[in-house]
Amino acid sequence: MARAWESVDRPRREIISATFAELARRFGEVRPDVLIVVSPDHWVNFFLDNLPSVCIGVGETHKGPPEPWLQHLPYRSITGHPEFALHLARTALDEGFEPSLSHHLELDHGLAIPLWKMGIDPLPPLVPIIVNSIEPPLPSLRRCLAWGDLIRTAIDRYPANLRVTILATGGVSHSIGEHDMGRIDEAFDRDCFEQFRFAEREELLKFLERHLDAAGNGAAEMRNWLVAHGAAQEKGFELLGYHPYPEWYVGCGFAAWNLGAR
Amino acid sequence: MTETAYDTIVRDYWLSKLFFDLQTPAAADEYHAHRDSVLDRYPLKPEVRLAVVEEDVVALARLVNPYLLRFYFFAIGKSEAWFLDRIRKTRPAVPNELARG
Repeated sequence: MARAWESVDRPRREIISATFAELARRFGEVRPDVLIVVSPDHWVNFFLDNLPSVCIGVGETHKGPPEPWLQHLPYRSITGHPEFALHLARTALDEGFEPSLSHHLELDHGLAIPLWKMGIDPLPPLVPIIVNSIEPPLPSLRRCLAWGDLIRTAIDRYPANLRVTILATGGVSHSIGEHDMGRIDEAFDRDCFEQFRFAEREELLKFLERHLDAAGNGAAEMRNWLVAHGAAQEKGFELLGYHPYPEWYVGCGFAAWNLGAR
Repeated sequence: MTETAYDTIVRDYWLSKLFFDLQTPAAADEYHAHRDSVLDRYPLKPEVRLAVVEEDVVALARLVNPYLLRFYFFAIGKSEAWFLDRIRKTRPAVPNELARG
């Protein structure tokens, strides 16, 4: 998106910018003490030598995006929140999850671009959670939803009051480096939003297990949405915008979870 | 979720390693200047090295992660249009009926 921002005409750029602004407005209202970002890793921190399914960034700082075309972003060094991150890791281990841990992650475009386009600067202390959505075998969809449950549990058990925001990045349908690169499956994307909005847990999982792989390899990043959905106890999904821009090869979806909703 | 067809895709480690390493600008510069000597450091199978030299997208697509594949051709200066023209001639990593579960 950032590399090809200008390839989309101005009216459509303004439309998606307005959606980013709405997301930023809601973010500003929350004024989080800690920001959990659930995002993919695009071959920056991990390789075939060592490829965790889930990695929590527990460090005091993290490094900003290494991509040469993102060096102008204001995120060269990103402050972490090791106290909450280690509490999350401890909670995970207590509850039968075995995440990888990193004390210094490099946080690539998958994390940085949404924050940048929202205009979040400075960032609140950040706890990155990397979910492998790039190289099979990927964590199961059910497990990603359970990770959301776990994050909710960790927040509830934290001994201090913290305002926590969770940002899940990536998705919706897109295909990168595959035979159908550039294909956006709008029908899938819109069905997906409806499922997040209305479906019960098992129904949502069944839908995604059946259709996600066919929506392109990038659609695997919907795992991150599942983490957020689980953390929100599967309530209050609200679609803020959907912008399927072929120039960027991706169906850009934006949503929020209204925690007061039934 | 049970095992999917994607789970059994086998990567060529050294080809993947080459593409991964080229993300470092200095390594990419060296590759531009001295491709063969860089390739000598990676124990690629002869047919894989040939596919690299011949810029054979179709052959390489079966061996590496799609994101690394796209990055590699970007790194060596191929245009997106050039890459799209070739990648669209490849076959799905797994048949669509399997991908749909």
